[in-house]
Amino acid sequence: MIQNAPKVKAGKQTLAAVPPHFYWQRLGGRVLLTNDAGCSSWLDEKDFRLLLKGGLKEGHPAFAGLAEGGFIRTRLDFNALALKNKRKEAHLQIGPGLHIFVTTLRCNHKCLYCQSGAISQASKGADMSWPTARRSVDFAFESPNRGITIEFQGGEPLLNWGTLEKTVRYARKKGRETGRELGLAVVSNFSLMTEEKAAFLIANEVSVCASLDGPEDLHNNNRKYAEGSSYKQTVKWLKYFRKKSDNQEGEKRVFRPSALLTVTRYSLGRHKEIIDEYAALGMDFIFIRPLAPIGYAKNLWGKIGYSASEFVRFYRDSLDYIFELNSKGTAIKEKMAVMMLKKIVRQDDPMFVDLRCPCGAGIGQLAYDHNGDIYTCDEGRMLAWEGDELFKAGNVFKSKYSEVMLSPAVKACAAASNLEMQPVCFRCVYKPFCGVCPVYNYEAQGSLWGSMPSNERCATLKGIFETVFLALRDKKKGAVLRSWVEK
Amino acid sequence: MEKAAKILVDTRKYPTETVRYAGYSLSGEAYVFLSPAGKKKILVELAPKALARGGAGGLRDKFLSELEDENGREAVLKANLELREFMLLKALSYQEKAPELKDSGLSHEQEKELDALIAQVESELKKESKKAYSRDPLGITRTWEERHDSKRAKSKSR
Repeated sequence: MIQNAPKVKAGKQTLAAVPPHFYWQRLGGRVLLTNDAGCSSWLDEKDFRLLLKGGLKEGHPAFAGLAEGGFIRTRLDFNALALKNKRKEAHLQIGPGLHIFVTTLRCNHKCLYCQSGAISQASKGADMSWPTARRSVDFAFESPNRGITIEFQGGEPLLNWGTLEKTVRYARKKGRETGRELGLAVVSNFSLMTEEKAAFLIANEVSVCASLDGPEDLHNNNRKYAEGSSYKQTVKWLKYFRKKSDNQEGEKRVFRPSALLTVTRYSLGRHKEIIDEYAALGMDFIFIRPLAPIGYAKNLWGKIGYSASEFVRFYRDSLDYIFELNSKGTAIKEKMAVMMLKKIVRQDDPMFVDLRCPCGAGIGQLAYDHNGDIYTCDEGRMLAWEGDELFKAGNVFKSKYSEVMLSPAVKACAAASNLEMQPVCFRCVYKPFCGVCPVYNYEAQGSLWGSMPSNERCATLKGIFETVFLALRDKKKGAVLRSWVEK
Repeated sequence: MEKAAKILVDTRKYPTETVRYAGYSLSGEAYVFLSPAGKKKILVELAPKALARGGAGGLRDKFLSELEDENGREAVLKANLELREFMLLKALSYQEKAPELKDSGLSHEQEKELDALIAQVESELKKESKKAYSRDPLGITRTWEERHDSKRAKSKSR
C-alpha cells in the first residue's frame, strides 16, 4: 500500500508504469534485479524489458514476486521496505563496535603474507604497555555502541601476556560497571599457548581464533615457524578449545574456536584438501579469504599472489565441494557466503566491517597500535608501520573520542567508501550488499577512491556475489545456502 | 596498441552522462576516448588494454550493451529521485512497532457468533436509549438552545 508517497515525475510513462529504483545485471542467461531494501528477483530478458517499459501487469506470473520485493510501484509497502533497509544497514547508527588492540608488534612466525608488520620476538619497544592498554579500553568504551568487541592481535599477542591478562580483567570490570555487552577475542598462532593461559581465557569468556591454511605442508609453507611445526601447534589447541566448548563444564561460556584461511597461490587447486582439514577438525565455518597486496604480501605478490579470476575459480570450486559435503551430512559453512546471505536472504546486518557502505573504517572499527596511536582499521595501521600515516585518526592519550570520529582520516574513508559516490558501484546490482576498502584502493591503485573497473578487490567480490546468487537460483544449492542463515 | 573500436553515438538517444558511464565501466580493459563529432554526436574510441577479451570487436559489443543498460538505469534513476530519497529517509528514521496481536484465539464460527452477539446487544441498547429519551417529561435532556431558542424550540416536536 502507498502511504505518504511523494509525487514522482514519470516523464513519458504514466506514474504507475515507471518501476521504482532498482539495480540489474545479466547473469547466467537471466537478469538479476536488486534494490536498496536488499530484495532480489530474477527475470528473463523478455520480462525484464517489459518491466522497464512498464508493461508487466498484474496477472503476469512474475508480478506477485516482484511486488513483494518492492519492484512494482503500485504495490510498494513502504513500512516493510524501510524496515528491511534499516535492518540491513543497522551499523549506520551505532558507532564503532570492533576495537583491535595491537598488544605487540613482535611475532615468532614469519608468514609470507603478513599484513600486521610483525617484527622479531627479541625486538624492544614494540609492546603495548599496561597504561596504554588501560587508556585504550577507556577509549573503546566511549563509543556509543551497546556491544563492544575487543580483539587482541599482533604480532603474536601471547608474547605480551602480562598486558593482555590485565586488559582482559579491566575490560570485564568496565563491561560490568557500564552494563555493556562485551566480547573479547584473541587472534593467535597458539605457539605460546599453555594450559594456564587457556584456563584464564576460558574463565574470562575470551574467544580464540587462529590461522589455519590447510594441510600441514601448505600451512607450514605459508606460516614459517623456526621453532617447530606451526600446523601442529594450531591444530593441537584448536582441538583443545573445541573439546572444552563441547563439554561446557564450568559456569562460563566456552566459545567454539574459529580459524582463518588465507588463500595464497600455493592453495590454488587444493581446495578439497583444505576443506577436508577444516571438516576433520569439526570446524563449523571456513572463511575463504583472498590475499590483499598489503604488507609483506605486496612485496611477494609475484610469488604468492593471483588474479581475481583465479581466486573466484578457487572460491567457486570450494563452495561446490562444501555443497557436496553438506549433502553427505557434514555441516560446514563458508563464512563469506554466510555474511552475504544474511543481507541477501534475511536483509540483516552481519556486522561485517569490510562489506558496508560506508566501510567500517573509524565508524565501525578502530585499531589501537602498541603506542596508543589510533587508526581507522588494522590495514590503515599497517600502512603507518610502512611510514604512511594517512589513516591515523588520533592517539588514546591526546585525542577525544569526538576528535577521532571527526578526524580527516575517518571522514575521508567514509566519503571515499560511500557507494552513492562511486561511479560504478552506484549502479552495480551488488551495491545493496557490498562495500569498498579505501586502504586497499590506496595501496593497489594510489587513491582512496580507486577505480572499480580495474580494481581486483571489486572483481573478486563481484565473482563471489555471482557465485552466491547463481547458487541461490539452483534448487539444491539454494536450499543449502538458505539453511545456513535460518534463524 | 591494437586497433581501436570507433563508435558514433547520437546524444539525442543516449545522453552524454550515459555515454560517459558506459565508457567508464569499460576503462578496466580499454583506453576510452570521448570526443565531440558534430552536432549531437560523440565519437567513442575504445583501444584494448592487454587484458581485454575479444579485442576491439568484443569491446564494441560490450560498449553497446552497456550503453543500452546505462540508458535504462539513467531513466529509472531520474524517474525515482524523489521517491528514492523518501524511501531512504524513511528507512533511516524508521522505528519498529511492537507486533500487533492478529490472532484472537477464536475460530471463524466463534468470531461470527461473537459479532452477531455484539450486533444484537448494540441494537438493544439503541432501542433502550430511544425509549429512555422519549420518556423525558421534565425535558432534562434538552439543551440550553432547545429550551431558550423559541424558534427552534417551537420547530422541535417531541
